[in-house]
Amino acid sequence: MSTKVITVRDVSKTFGRVHAVCDLSFEVEEATCFGFLGPNGAGKTTMMKMLYAKCRRDENCDGTISVFGFDPRAHQLEIKYLSGVVPQDNNLDEELNVVQNLTIYSKFYDMPSVRTNKRIDSLLDFLELADKRESKIRELSGGMKRRLLIARALINNPRLLILDEPTTGLDPQVRRLIWDKLGQLKKDGTTILLTTHYMEEAFQICDKLLIMHKGRKIMQGTPRNLLSENTEAYVLELPRIEYIKIRDSYLLNHTRLEESGETARLFSDDMDTLKAVSDLLKVGCFHLRQSNLEDVFLKATGRRLNDRQ
Amino acid sequence: MTGSNTKLYPPLHKRLYSVWYRHVRVYAKYLLSNALPPFLEPLIFLAAIGLGLGKYITKSMEGMRYIEYLGTGLLATTAMFTAAYECSFGTFIRLERQKVYNGMLAAPITANNLIIGEIIWAGTKGFFYAFSVAVVLVAFGIVHLPYCLGAPLVGFATGVMFGALSLLVTSFVKTINHFSFYFTGFISPMFFFSGVFFPVSSLPRFLQPVVELMPLTHSVRLVRAVCTNNYRPQLAADLLYVVVFMVVVSFFAAKRLRTRLVN
Repeated sequence: MSTKVITVRDVSKTFGRVHAVCDLSFEVEEATCFGFLGPNGAGKTTMMKMLYAKCRRDENCDGTISVFGFDPRAHQLEIKYLSGVVPQDNNLDEELNVVQNLTIYSKFYDMPSVRTNKRIDSLLDFLELADKRESKIRELSGGMKRRLLIARALINNPRLLILDEPTTGLDPQVRRLIWDKLGQLKKDGTTILLTTHYMEEAFQICDKLLIMHKGRKIMQGTPRNLLSENTEAYVLELPRIEYIKIRDSYLLNHTRLEESGETARLFSDDMDTLKAVSDLLKVGCFHLRQSNLEDVFLKATGRRLNDRQ
Repeated sequence: MTGSNTKLYPPLHKRLYSVWYRHVRVYAKYLLSNALPPFLEPLIFLAAIGLGLGKYITKSMEGMRYIEYLGTGLLATTAMFTAAYECSFGTFIRLERQKVYNGMLAAPITANNLIIGEIIWAGTKGFFYAFSVAVVLVAFGIVHLPYCLGAPLVGFATGVMFGALSLLVTSFVKTINHFSFYFTGFISPMFFFSGVFFPVSSLPRFLQPVVELMPLTHSVRLVRAVCTNNYRPQLAADLLYVVVFMVVVSFFAAKRLRTRLVN
């Protein structure tokens, strides 16, 4: 049986009258990648902060949290020592250069300086920042800063890496580089917990996914299962006005319709049906594709903005 | 699995040291621009007194020449100002704008460790600033070795007092502009009325107890006693005030600021 690194049961967190997290439960196995998916304000960041005691769970709930067997309420230092955290916003020390930013963090873990220097060299190589050793922080691009934040989180060889939207705002090359690196870390036995808005990212790198909405778990499973259990295999996207022209066709009897704004989507497990529908349409005004995690996500969390986004 | 009895994480003194080290490294990065003013400021001040104002003040104050009286007072005020700025504007920017603390709190240090490390850093700056002023005073023959070597220690205590007090103020502050109330309403009056420029005894009688409540008054008395090697029994009260103030205010600062760091 595989080891559970994180076990969370019935945990809630309230800020004033806002229920940021409600009765959330999940488990993360060692050397896997677990992803939180959800719109802004779903409670993903709050849940992650509760794991390393940056945020305290509600006192009056019977919820329990265990990370490496430790409860963050009483043993935050043990958990923090074994974990690395990559925050959502850049909080590097602008006054210092790349190496100095890492050195400062090595002190927090009381690493001997010989080990620190070796570790910094290998981390800069690993994240492809070796030629930026002496650069000032403001000379780095957004992607370099994010890679440095990851290097900083890895300074003490954490067994658990927590990342809050690690690739938000980055270009596709850097995003893929980060996915690769996370994959390597996982192979080496690091457990990874991350939040993301990117469905592709979730699909590519997460072994398990938990979709959150308004502080609650909506669904959970492997990306593939979430896809196959919650949506049809194919989707035909077309403008609503085109849909209105063909909506009486008998072909549509075996499809499921979702409408949002000016777009209509027809879902079906049968590609041929959707192809037949598309033959009724003008060339170029529709898009026939495999359904993806985004379709599941939008189905689960609604297509409209909610008051927390 | 990992829940053994041996401690994984660094001991308390190493954790406090790591916070302190972070501040030292950031401060030392711009050593020239950061370390020159503490030497220049007293020079300018003493020049103004020595070349100008001093000529008009011929009376001795509490048995000291005016330049000696004022110079020793500066040892305490310089520590007050540097600690007050560091733990108000400095802390607020680290907290709200740079989010430095968010990063540090992901490492194995608690919010309390971080706050106490911050206060020790304020004390260190107080030490360094008082030392700089002492160097200038010695160079001009205003105070004498070796007694003035004790002045940085009073500077440290002053830095801790005002570091803790400023953190307490910061815990209430919602926007950085609120600090003007603290500086104009509290720090500046203290600068002028705590026995730095003229003896407390020359103030109206009803004001004197108020001035005795102010932390700077006690720092100034202590630092003058150290520099002149003139210890009166009443100094025990000043020392007691400083110790109690450091402990009590640090406690409340940590208690309040903690809720802002961990929510």
